[in-house]
Amino acid sequence: MNHDIVIQTFGLTRTYGEAEAKVTALSGVDLAIKAGEFTAIVGPSGSGKTTLLHLIGGLDRPSAGHIELGGTNIAEMSGTQLSDLRRDQIGFIFQAYNLIPVLSARENVEYVMLLQGMDPAERKRRTDLMLQLVGLEGLGERRPAQLSGGQQQRVAVARAMASSPAIIFADEPTANLDSKTGVALLDLMKRLNEDEGVTFVFSTHDEKIMDIARRLVYLHDGVIERDERR
Amino acid sequence: MLNLKLAFRNLFRNGRRTLLTCLLIGFSLSALIIVDGIILGMSKLLVESATHLMSGEAQVHRRGYLDSFDVDLYIADPGALQATLERNPAVAGYSMRVMSGGMVSSPYNVAAAMILGLDAGQEKSVSRISESLVDGEYLSGMDTELIIGSDLADLLEVKLGDRIVLTLSQVDGGGISQELFRLSGISRFGIRELDSTTAFINLDRARGMMGMDTAVHEIAIRYAEGEDSANRNHPLLAELSNSEYEALGWKDFNASIGTMLETIDLVTIVVGMILFLLASFGVINTMFMSIYERIYEFGVIKAIGTRPTDLIKLVLCESFLIAVGSVICGTLLGGAVSYYFSVSGVILGEFEVSGIAFHNNIYSVLEPAQFIEFPIYVILLTVIASLYPAAFAAKIVPSEALQKSL
Repeated sequence: MNHDIVIQTFGLTRTYGEAEAKVTALSGVDLAIKAGEFTAIVGPSGSGKTTLLHLIGGLDRPSAGHIELGGTNIAEMSGTQLSDLRRDQIGFIFQAYNLIPVLSARENVEYVMLLQGMDPAERKRRTDLMLQLVGLEGLGERRPAQLSGGQQQRVAVARAMASSPAIIFADEPTANLDSKTGVALLDLMKRLNEDEGVTFVFSTHDEKIMDIARRLVYLHDGVIERDERR
Repeated sequence: MLNLKLAFRNLFRNGRRTLLTCLLIGFSLSALIIVDGIILGMSKLLVESATHLMSGEAQVHRRGYLDSFDVDLYIADPGALQATLERNPAVAGYSMRVMSGGMVSSPYNVAAAMILGLDAGQEKSVSRISESLVDGEYLSGMDTELIIGSDLADLLEVKLGDRIVLTLSQVDGGGISQELFRLSGISRFGIRELDSTTAFINLDRARGMMGMDTAVHEIAIRYAEGEDSANRNHPLLAELSNSEYEALGWKDFNASIGTMLETIDLVTIVVGMILFLLASFGVINTMFMSIYERIYEFGVIKAIGTRPTDLIKLVLCESFLIAVGSVICGTLLGGAVSYYFSVSGVILGEFEVSGIAFHNNIYSVLEPAQFIEFPIYVILLTVIASLYPAAFAAKIVPSEALQKSL
């Protein structure tokens, strides 16, 4: 495995159901993501984008094949080991309802660092820095319900970055945003990728957003159809 | 700390549901506090009625007397026992009694009765015979004095001052003794057995009739501390017992009441278990509803690195806080109602159960256990009931949870 590669899949397959009801969501996917890449997984609905992100993000287990993160096959990890892996090495941004509604934006960003047991001073410093990076300084005390959809996604980006993960997965992060806000969010992610070196992998079927990505992985019926670098 | 903060805030996400759950558990706790207070009050009244009315809290007899009530099984020389009772600080009072079955005859009727010879002074420190008089005077030591129960007086068709003849057999194979008395008092205990078949005369007169000299059949004892009466193994009982004499606490010589009290305790436990079982189902239901509502959120929380054990802790923290809120509600409500009943009493009127007369209201008894142990049980039970939903939450698969609710 190349030392630049953050995560790599080998023959990744995921099926649901059995016998006649068996559905293959992903079939023999080989994919390597290098550090610092800004990759979009694209494809129509049902192509397997979310399944792929869930598998390489350690949220689901493959039916066949394996996934290596830092040389370790994460498919063989226990539930608690996977939780720790996600906490320390992976950041997630979902379509919507990313945040814990009873916590303020600041507390949401702090959450993963609290799980990591980071000391309070460092936690505060990083929280301030993350909120500043996503342009939400001054809004930290607001609860998610008091923030717009775009602002909520920015908080989710800040939270995903807070633990300094090796890679951040974003599953259609702009799906619930208007196009202007969606593009702004992607611009933010791209800026963070360029300035801070954060590795992003996101799924989308929005063509305007695809244009921002430097690498496009086309999925169709659970198979990688094309892999383009720009 | 994080879990506690999250749990606390989560409770207010559906405030009405949290409040209803707290009320459900709180009402169960308050019901248990109230029921336990009334049952303790009833038990206390039962014990007092059983012991203070007539029998005393402990008794000394010749071994075998209680099995046969054979008049020949008497305590020939009660002096040593009396000396022990006099010097023991645990004893508030004692009374020596002579007892025999006999005939009570008036000019109009005849009836069988239990005739008790009492020391009028001693008896006041042990029983309520003097307080049970509804007519006439208590015994003063005069030879011809006789008190009979109200129902027996009706049967004999006698009134105060009327002549009554008592017939009883003498001890140790002696002959029949028959003597004339004047009705000096009529008692009413509210217990049919006592009111229809009991006659009281002075101790010395009874001894004389039965040829017993200084002997007695029974020494009834009242403890200085009420709690001592429940102790079947009180040191005093051992001190008074030997190969010839047997000293027993009331639970042993009145076993039916002891059994009744044990049954009452069991009923309290069963009622408590039913109440808390129902409340537990409420807690399980509430926690499941709460988890199902937040299943997507739990998916996100797990996805970003929360361990399954942390989710268990979160759910348990929520149920712990619900339990604490419930305990505060339940203790305040139950305590207030129980306190009211402890002051005003529960009005029951006059009735008799298993030979025990209840004349008074039942006054609730407030015990520290009701406000310390019961709430601890409630908190433990609520948290235990939440283990199942907590385990469910811990097993949520993020990838499945994230497909829901969007």
